[in-house]
Amino acid sequence: MNPKFADYAHPEALVDGEWLAAHLDDPSIRVVESNEDVLLYDTGHIPGAVHIDWRGDLQDDLTRDYVSVESFAAVCAKNGITPETTVVFYGDKSNWWSCYALWAFRLFGHEKVKVLDGGRDKWKADGREFTRDKPKYSLTEYPVPAKRRDDEIRAFYADTLAHAKAKKPLIDVRSPGEYKGEITHMPEYPQEGVLRGGHVPGARSVPWKTAANDDGTFKSFDALKAIYTDNLGLKPDDDIVAYCRIGERSSHTWFVLNYLLGYTNVRNYDGSWTEWGNMVRTPIAKGEAAG
Amino acid sequence: MSDYPTALTEIVDFFEHLPEDEKRENLIVYADASANCGPVEGETFDLEDVRKDEECTDTVGVFLKVDTGTRAAHFRVDLGPQVQTLTKAMTAILCQGLEGATPEAVLEVPQDFVPKIVGGQLVRLRSQTVYYILTRMKSTCKVWLNRERAAES
Repeated sequence: MNPKFADYAHPEALVDGEWLAAHLDDPSIRVVESNEDVLLYDTGHIPGAVHIDWRGDLQDDLTRDYVSVESFAAVCAKNGITPETTVVFYGDKSNWWSCYALWAFRLFGHEKVKVLDGGRDKWKADGREFTRDKPKYSLTEYPVPAKRRDDEIRAFYADTLAHAKAKKPLIDVRSPGEYKGEITHMPEYPQEGVLRGGHVPGARSVPWKTAANDDGTFKSFDALKAIYTDNLGLKPDDDIVAYCRIGERSSHTWFVLNYLLGYTNVRNYDGSWTEWGNMVRTPIAKGEAAG
Repeated sequence: MSDYPTALTEIVDFFEHLPEDEKRENLIVYADASANCGPVEGETFDLEDVRKDEECTDTVGVFLKVDTGTRAAHFRVDLGPQVQTLTKAMTAILCQGLEGATPEAVLEVPQDFVPKIVGGQLVRLRSQTVYYILTRMKSTCKVWLNRERAAES
């Protein structure tokens, strides 16, 4: 194991390139690529990796929600994944989308999950192999989960409103400009249709990028503890909600809090700002203060 | 009758009825080809528009040359490394599809060819940059036409 991982609350949740390269032929492992760039997998991917599209495979086509438990089981089955499979996620954008896919897998109760530290960019920077060959795995049986864990790791609008009113810990992981209400889109991205800027009253601003090094890897345990535990005064059993615009950057933070720092009660508000900022009569705070 | 220049119509016709898998494969072929869409050393242009817009992840350079007489437009497009794969594919498609069209014809090209080529599955949230290249090409044509009118008046 990479010595860096030893200090994390769940060191087994991360792998590095060396480990993954040595385990590419391990039948108990399935490598999953999940990206923002919808065609990036097709331009080359880690040998043996399958592509799970966070939109096409994990999100409902009609309603803004995740797929049904039946559909999730079908996605796993067609990719040769069983409940016993260890799924190793990686992708672009410092693993935003791979953490989002991992969170979605946890939403459906899949236990064995890991993230490739540094994602796609680190694998490439290390000069490791890419291939365009798409693997074919035999269809497996994946039991339909009894339910989604919506009440455990997911927060909805009403939950977040109650959370804010109760002044419980809320983390806004968007850019400072979005948090302050100066802009209503991510820097370097087009508008995604939100009518109001600002943040959920009481939310503290900790941009997701704070948790990552420039090479896309996660910061050390000590650095993350300084950011979240010391700076925000969070306790390991605090009831915490994290959000961004659509829940993908906050999934990265959710992963950090859960797996790297060991917080036990963290939920991802996936409706996030595209919901909150469009909701009639929803309280909004602007500026640098939490409100 | 198609609203698209002939070369673009051919590309649309090719893609429109392909199964999803083949669409993706051919988009990747075009994405790979986008590396050859940039300016070639020694080429000169009537207009060069290189910038990184606030709503973009990287720099995009659009270079336009219009032939005297025929007024056939020729585009070169240079893409930064962070540009999405779908946008790279669209760049190569448009450089080929708009090759030789007049600036007026470029301005008239409707956006509706995009889902015909790309398919509904791929044009979703965070893939809207696929429309960006056409917007930039039209912008350079508009500037060129304005300069032409100014020169004639």
